[in-house]
Amino acid sequence: MTRVVLVPGVLALLPEYAGLEDPVAELRAASLAAVGWLGGEVTVLADAQGARVGAYLLAATSRSGDDPSYLVVGNGSAKRTEKAPGHFDERAEEFDRRLGESLRAGRPAVDVALARELWASTDAIVELAELDDDLGEGQVDYDDAPHGVQYWVVRWNSDS
Amino acid sequence: MTLKLGRSAFADDAMLMMAIVNRTPDSFFDRGATWEEDKAFDRVARVVAEGAEIVDSGGIKAAPGVEIDEAEERARVVDFVARVRESFPALVISVDTWRASVGDAVCGAGADLLNDAWGGADPELVDVAAQHDAAIVCTHTGGVTPRTRPYRIEYDDVVRAAIDDTVAYAERALAAGVDRASIVIDPAHDFGKNTFHSLEITRRLDEMVATGWPMLVSLSNKDFVGETLDLPVGERLIGTLASTALCALAGARIYRVHQVVETRQTVDMVNSIAGRRPPRRAIRGIQ
Repeated sequence: MTRVVLVPGVLALLPEYAGLEDPVAELRAASLAAVGWLGGEVTVLADAQGARVGAYLLAATSRSGDDPSYLVVGNGSAKRTEKAPGHFDERAEEFDRRLGESLRAGRPAVDVALARELWASTDAIVELAELDDDLGEGQVDYDDAPHGVQYWVVRWNSDS
Repeated sequence: MTLKLGRSAFADDAMLMMAIVNRTPDSFFDRGATWEEDKAFDRVARVVAEGAEIVDSGGIKAAPGVEIDEAEERARVVDFVARVRESFPALVISVDTWRASVGDAVCGAGADLLNDAWGGADPELVDVAAQHDAAIVCTHTGGVTPRTRPYRIEYDDVVRAAIDDTVAYAERALAAGVDRASIVIDPAHDFGKNTFHSLEITRRLDEMVATGWPMLVSLSNKDFVGETLDLPVGERLIGTLASTALCALAGARIYRVHQVVETRQTVDMVNSIAGRRPPRRAIRGIQ
């Protein structure tokens, strides 16, 4: 059995960006719980910034077991609201809905051109799909956009 | 060094108040309070009475939103500049624009200073400043597109980056023919920078002042103050003045502000503490 987890590459999760209050407390809890479910050795799929978030989450969890494990770092659109980093784009919600559905179904499908326009971080999700295009149904531990950016935390138990 | 801002010159150590009088319906702090031209003009009169040496007007809010094209931007600021110039001959008129075409129009109408908040997005702005013998503010924005918010931007050293970019811009202005005494640098708090970056810029402002270029800081009611204290836009004056005090200690020359009186008091107090300014009137214990 292969264990796969998706988390968003949120810089606010990192210790160097910690405030007195945690603006992503629920996301942090869901991410740590999901990452903690992975096996002892984890392959990270992420860009350079995402890899730092991945490294932090891995170091913050004690994991064991031999199941092959993957930590994928990616997120949806950053143009969800007027106050979002990328401001409001009316296409964002539908883009995220479709991507979210494909993640839930374990068949990640990314419109790469639109992802770029909507400031979604999907390179690692595309890489995941290339490794395994049928992960089985995902368990969605987190699905929200509290700061104008769409985040998911998803776990898959893949038989392949 | 002497600051030459268009028609006006200021002595070596003068610290100046640049009062914000926006020509927008939707800027983050004033929220359209000076959108109507008469209201804007009244505010100019008021801030001049409060002692502001410079008035800064912009036609486009910094945040993303409805696109304002060159024609609309000109319509918002050019006639206003002409009206202010006629009524206040000694006032330094600054216009907050990144566009060379708008810069040209407002200088033609009497503007003295081009305040480019977007780090040289239009490379021809320096030529406009030179042609009109106007001053220019050279900001650091990390290269972001005008009217975009920072998203996961990081720097190896944000102060190094701000120094490198603003000094490069300043030297480009010099090469274009802008008077050396008419070039100002500004780290541009929160532009292409998160709160941690803006705090670090403030903490190490002395390094930027040490470049020798006169510095402008624009701190007023910004989000880095809001996030540090977890306070909304209308409650950030105290945090702004605390930041102002440190910038004054470090030697910033121009303060872009919503609140002139409070900032002037803060800067004067700091200058006296620093030994640069005598107290206004001292007799206690020495009579």
